[in-house]
Amino acid sequence: MNHKKIKFHTVIIIIVTLLILLITLFPYYYLIIQSFLPWDMVDKSFIPTKVTLDSYTYLLNRGGSSNPFMWIRALLNSFIVAFPTAVVSIAVGLMTGYAATNMQYKGKSAIHSSLLFQMFFPVIILLVPRYMIVKPLANHYSGMILPLIISVWGIFMYINYFKTVPKSVFEAAKIDGASDFKILRKIALPSTKSISIIVFLSVFMTRWNELMWDMLIAPNINVQTLNVMISTQFNQNSNIPGPMYAASILLTMPIIILFLCFSKYFKEGINFMLK
Amino acid sequence: MHKKIKAVPESIPKRSGLSYESRTAWLFNTPYIVYSVVFLFLPLGWAAWLSVTDWNLMSPKYNLVGLKNFTQLFTDDNVQAAFWNSFRYLVPIVLLCFVFGMGIALLTSKLPGKMKGIVATLFFIPYLTSGVATSVMIKYVFSYNSLLNVFLREHYQLNINWLQSGAAFWILIGMIVWKMGGYYALFVLSAIESISADVYEAAVIDGCTGFKKFIKITLPMITPTITSVVVLAAGLSFQIFSEPFLLTGGGPDLSTTTWQLEIYKTSFVSFNAGYGAAMAIVNAVQIFLTIQIITWIMNRVNKKFGW
Repeated sequence: MNHKKIKFHTVIIIIVTLLILLITLFPYYYLIIQSFLPWDMVDKSFIPTKVTLDSYTYLLNRGGSSNPFMWIRALLNSFIVAFPTAVVSIAVGLMTGYAATNMQYKGKSAIHSSLLFQMFFPVIILLVPRYMIVKPLANHYSGMILPLIISVWGIFMYINYFKTVPKSVFEAAKIDGASDFKILRKIALPSTKSISIIVFLSVFMTRWNELMWDMLIAPNINVQTLNVMISTQFNQNSNIPGPMYAASILLTMPIIILFLCFSKYFKEGINFMLK
Repeated sequence: MHKKIKAVPESIPKRSGLSYESRTAWLFNTPYIVYSVVFLFLPLGWAAWLSVTDWNLMSPKYNLVGLKNFTQLFTDDNVQAAFWNSFRYLVPIVLLCFVFGMGIALLTSKLPGKMKGIVATLFFIPYLTSGVATSVMIKYVFSYNSLLNVFLREHYQLNINWLQSGAAFWILIGMIVWKMGGYYALFVLSAIESISADVYEAAVIDGCTGFKKFIKITLPMITPTITSVVVLAAGLSFQIFSEPFLLTGGGPDLSTTTWQLEIYKTSFVSFNAGYGAAMAIVNAVQIFLTIQIITWIMNRVNKKFGW
């Protein structure tokens, strides 16, 4: 970069922005540092003078023989619950979104009204009935996954995207004799790459961070997600905060790293979020 | 699924195949339809039914109580608190999210090209963080033996139970704004970026610069995005659960309680499932009306100042 070209007020703006950014991200710095400090120094130092894995090995050994590796299992449970939800959200979003924008059929407007209704509908009303419906699957992954498996927001992302794609793209394939299934797989899916990545990550993140439903339907320690386990294990004032910081790292970092890896797709996708 | 794909004839008559298209479309919609019947419409009807009963979540017996649940809401302190708190949350959350979102977006938009994307992404990180992680950390920061409280005790003889004081509400607001500010900034930034350079050039030729340029051009051009951000933030303030659930339990004196928390507690802690359903319905009506009013106001603002 040519430094002579940068004006004085740009420098001021850079400094102010970075300062706000530092304050915003300070909790993460603090979290990381504290999770690696020896326990007698946790919360007493802002600089990592000594690094240990004490807090992490503590998590690894917690649970004893009755619940071996409960924290590792909680981390796995979070994946087991969030991953299929994200994949199904993409598949259903793609199908429903394609049908809503590129196909003519009876009942189209009814489906669209239902989608709109659901988009703005407060889910809290459904809490007790959903709990009753899914109760036979309590403490099973299916009971945690099924009620939240479709993302209406995701469907609208695809609808908004397909609206911007000229119909002629799909018409041409149809005239060539391709079935709608084939068009969906061979043309629509590859063209929605950035939308699909955003839907995947956002749904994954939302599901990963869900508290109320997982807490209700899966209180058993063997199927608890990491999010629920942190809320139950560290919700009292403990005198060993180290493991709390380590567990929070396990909870937040996978999502942050995933998003940072794919952040370049967001610039394109953000335009479809607010329509 | 695969079998069905094979059953489709390779070449389809173009126009006469409308009923075929209809069938395929319904097939595409099947997963959504099944889901919404089982997890939306059936529970919705059930919830409406529950709201006129006194069912206790466990027993097979229940009584029809008519509208008693709804009339009882008016005299219930917890419900009153949840109702008014949603507005108490809404105003500072919308205002602060707007201020921080706009501020971060405007600053970021002035950064040199390469930094812009990186900085915007970094501001987005708090949005990804689970409310549980931030809550347990905040709980610890404000606990009796925390660094902060030990310091205040030793140096100022202050002994504050932060999470059961008037400050609790503002701690929660701070957590939510911290989490959402960078997310909303991304929308505003994207809107600012999409204003074409021609518009600005024309403005500069007409002698429009600096603050005036911002007021006359940038702001009117991004009002549709601001409208969306305000509506999103307003909707968000009805969704608060994890933070008061883990930090304050709704206290002190119900000052931080929310609908979500009260409905959860009524249904699953005191087992008044019928009454909880009635609460949820009133909550939904409040959300609907509030969002309608805010959208109406923002549309007026849009018409007056937008392009």
